[in-house]
Amino acid sequence: MSSDFSECGETLPPREDRPQELARLLAHPAIWRAGRAARTQAWPTGFPALDEGLPGGGWPRSGLIEILSSRFGMGELALLMPALAAVTCRAGARWCAWIAPPLQPFAPALEACGIALERMLIVRGAPHARRSNRKESWTFEQALGSGACDIAFAWARQPPPRQLRRLHLAAQRGGTLGVLFRPSRAAREASPAVLRVGVEPLPGGARVRLLKSQGGARGAIDLEWASQASLAGRP
Amino acid sequence: MRARRSADLFAPPLPKRTPPAAPLKTLAPPQPVSPAAAPAELWLGVQVMIGAKQAGPDSPPELGRLATLAQRLTPRLSLAPPDGLLLEVKGSLHLFGGVDGIRREMALECARCGLRGTLALAPTPLAALTAARAGRSLLVLDPAQLIGQLSPLPLAALRWPQKLLERLAFIGVRTIGQALRLPRAGFAQRFGAAQLGELDRLTGRVSDPRERFEVRTRFRRRRELSCELDNHGALLEALGPLLTALEQFLESRQCGVLELECRLWHRGRPPSRCALRLAAPLADARRLAGLLGERLGTLALPEPVRACELRSGLPVPRVLSSAGLWQPGEHGGLSEAHSPHLIERLRARLGSEAVKGLAVLKDHRPEAAWCVREPEACSEVSHCRPLEGELAPPASRPGAPRDATRPLWLLPLPRRLTERDGLPRYRGGLRLLSEPERIETGWWDGAEVARDYYIALDIHGRRLWLFRERHPPHRWFLHGVFG
Repeated sequence: MSSDFSECGETLPPREDRPQELARLLAHPAIWRAGRAARTQAWPTGFPALDEGLPGGGWPRSGLIEILSSRFGMGELALLMPALAAVTCRAGARWCAWIAPPLQPFAPALEACGIALERMLIVRGAPHARRSNRKESWTFEQALGSGACDIAFAWARQPPPRQLRRLHLAAQRGGTLGVLFRPSRAAREASPAVLRVGVEPLPGGARVRLLKSQGGARGAIDLEWASQASLAGRP
Repeated sequence: MRARRSADLFAPPLPKRTPPAAPLKTLAPPQPVSPAAAPAELWLGVQVMIGAKQAGPDSPPELGRLATLAQRLTPRLSLAPPDGLLLEVKGSLHLFGGVDGIRREMALECARCGLRGTLALAPTPLAALTAARAGRSLLVLDPAQLIGQLSPLPLAALRWPQKLLERLAFIGVRTIGQALRLPRAGFAQRFGAAQLGELDRLTGRVSDPRERFEVRTRFRRRRELSCELDNHGALLEALGPLLTALEQFLESRQCGVLELECRLWHRGRPPSRCALRLAAPLADARRLAGLLGERLGTLALPEPVRACELRSGLPVPRVLSSAGLWQPGEHGGLSEAHSPHLIERLRARLGSEAVKGLAVLKDHRPEAAWCVREPEACSEVSHCRPLEGELAPPASRPGAPRDATRPLWLLPLPRRLTERDGLPRYRGGLRLLSEPERIETGWWDGAEVARDYYIALDIHGRRLWLFRERHPPHRWFLHGVFG
């Protein structure tokens, strides 16, 4: 019997090796076992405490994530800066697209964070054209699905759930991390995003709540901005 | 035999065969031929049959079209009106697979123009042209054999005046060989120095500079439609032949376009224009059609279209790269080659100003410390930052601690804040976190600022970037959000 198998080239491992064989199979990246962090390729966030809580140890390299905050400017962008710096400065970096940012990204501050500015791509409609959800969504989908971007940022008020699903699939197709900034009331709605985090400001840092992460930890993680501990203490 | 051949390898090359017996002091004295007798130039002469009106003073349009197409064979090309074309092909022989290959390619180009041509190859331009005009598909690679090969050709192929030819025929000179054997001084005296000079250029005794064929620098072509169109898809199809012509135009120059304008003519309205700006030089008709299709899709046509016209910007030299085995985005595929596609597609849909890159400028004023610029499509240059002129060097690398005194977001214009008891308010009270940072500069260009910048915390815990004017009335403004 065993000789037949060996002739086929499909030898069964010895009985005592089978658990290892099973573990090897289960290590396949497409298999996610509930209760464990999903095995995804990730960009380290630059915050060790947050890396521990996230599946794969960082922001996923492909797929849609949502960052929710009650207002604009609560630290949601600063949360991504260390990862963005690492991603844009590596060899063979692709674009980082900003789809219709609400204000002007301030280049000196980005550079001070160590970000390679030549990889930035700011996409806006014509200056006097009406902001249209459809156009922005189309642009975001193009950026995610083209495979030309490492990261794409977009700001959305109320995207329809079907649209979110499309965006997520496009991000997976293009191997792009799509970051959608949304108001925190969106936390009540279902979303196909692989990761949803809420951000609240703290003095000198931020509190990150993991609202949805496939197999990752739950709860709140307090972060401190890299160089602001001294600043926050001042009256 | 074998010994002889192996000895040949090391022996100095035998002197080349001298041209057929030519008496001393004739037009073409046998010149000593150097051992490396490979000609410095090799000219391909083409004589084409152009309709009934074969003889005309100007070069006919067919010839110009053929010359444009033939530019893909060589950059050195000159017209010999009314029916001749000369190409210097020495440098292209290897690329096109030798003499036979280049003849085949040229015949193909003639056929594409609907012309029949006679091709001849010779080391001097005039010899190649004369042979072609005599109807002989001559092939002379060795300058030493040139005179021998030219000798039997009739003098009429040189297109000398009929009277002169008759006088020459009267003394029994009908072929080029016979003319070359005449004494030089007497020939110049009796038949003219110009003719002697022509014979010298024919044999390569003196050089024969030719005016280079220059074509129009921009592409511009119009097409009248057989019926009026108002459907975008049909319109794109009608533009197809123009795009193909544009591709040929660009391919022959190894160039691409960065700007392309498409004009659509209506019956009673001014033409609709549709401009395309590209991130990288492009010549591919199919990709251009795709981008133009995106652009046309957003264009509202006031009336059906009667004619369309394509105008290119200046052709830009194109860096040719080899295509990868993997598709971009696939496992192992290049991602960078894909990036101009994204920019082009976004620009085609959203407008040419929609996609921008960022850069830092050396200025303390926040408004003037950054600028937008063209995104660099080319990945090779992206990691050695181009820092000419005013662009500032990078402040730090990823490991360095962040300079926390600048916000990630800047308001397009500073926003006036209300005040209470001399302190600014923005939807509630603000708490100032930092010492003031004074920015007072710009007196030289009229945009002078004198401000004290503060970092402040609002009631939601957001950090904002404010400034107070140094000069009365000391108003407060919001200028940035730390994000």
